[in-house]
Amino acid sequence: MASMEKRLQKELLALTKDPPVGVKVNTDAITKNLAEWTVDLEGAPGTVFEGENFQLQFKFGSRYPFDSPQVMFIGPNIPLHPHVYSNGHICLSILTDDWSPALSVQSVCLSVVSMLSSCKEKKRPPDNALYVKTCSKNPKKTRWWYHDDSV
Amino acid sequence: MSTDNSSKPAEASAGAASSNPGPSENGEDEKAAVYECNICLDTAHDAVVSMCGHLFCWPCLHQWLETRPQRQLCPVCKAGIGKDKVIPIYGRGNPNPQDPREKLPPRPSGQRPEPENTGGFPAFGFGDGGFQFSFGIGAFPFGIFTSSFNMSDNRPGPPQAGSPQHTEEQFLSRIFLWVAILFLFWLLIA
Ligand SMILES: [Zn+2]
Ligand SMILES: [Zn+2]
Repeated sequence: MASMEKRLQKELLALTKDPPVGVKVNTDAITKNLAEWTVDLEGAPGTVFEGENFQLQFKFGSRYPFDSPQVMFIGPNIPLHPHVYSNGHICLSILTDDWSPALSVQSVCLSVVSMLSSCKEKKRPPDNALYVKTCSKNPKKTRWWYHDDSV
Repeated sequence: MSTDNSSKPAEASAGAASSNPGPSENGEDEKAAVYECNICLDTAHDAVVSMCGHLFCWPCLHQWLETRPQRQLCPVCKAGIGKDKVIPIYGRGNPNPQDPREKLPPRPSGQRPEPENTGGFPAFGFGDGGFQFSFGIGAFPFGIFTSSFNMSDNRPGPPQAGSPQHTEEQFLSRIFLWVAILFLFWLLIA
């Protein structure tokens, strides 16, 4: 637990001191042991999400950074994107199979922003209705049954 | 010896980070950052470097390798990596250097959960069972669909209508249909 907190402390310091464009940690929403964060994201200018604001929730387990954090969109505005389900779950491989302990809150945020930025057409994933009905609350568990082939 | 300036920064910054953690000037900080472990983001201790040139504490890297024993990749660049593909680094400050790889494991290897086990999120109350559960829901209906479709399609010679066998089979397929319908209904209200 201690090593996870220590690393998150460093990440928090770096992110608040030198935040990337469009990424802002909501320091008020961070829990005491640093296990839960909320990050405000801005849709990048010149993309379909320009002018929109989103909230990304991070939950860290005690095995962070060896285990990926649980990351999902929360709040009133869930981006309308082919890889984002209406319950906030995100289909992004670095959040499960392609996670690496060299990744960070910052790099996850930047990946999510760039995923949003590459979107041309605002729409939900084709299996949204079924997925939202049957998935686990924890987005980290669900990738398995719709991306079985990559295992 | 003191003229060899090129090798100095490593020693100076490593020393500064461990024996003098107080505020130092920015230049020192940046120099120290070059020797940060790519996993814990601290100055690397028991340091090893990979063939691809990435620096880690051996305990940090070891834990990562144990996390995904089947897929040992450099956390930074995804090049192949492994216990015998890293080089230990010995600074001058260490009087009797010992290969950090011999000192491990620092923790029993028995406590390795599967990578996707999220024991770290007890708030959700899902154990391993939670995973099985959502998988089952995802796959089951399709299994039922295929079995009830097969029943009417892939039957070489359907028995004569009215024969006992025919009624029996109709009865069976009706049961299957009802099970499928009940299951779908349960899915909808669940
Ligand atoms: Zn380390
Ligand atoms: Zn590398």
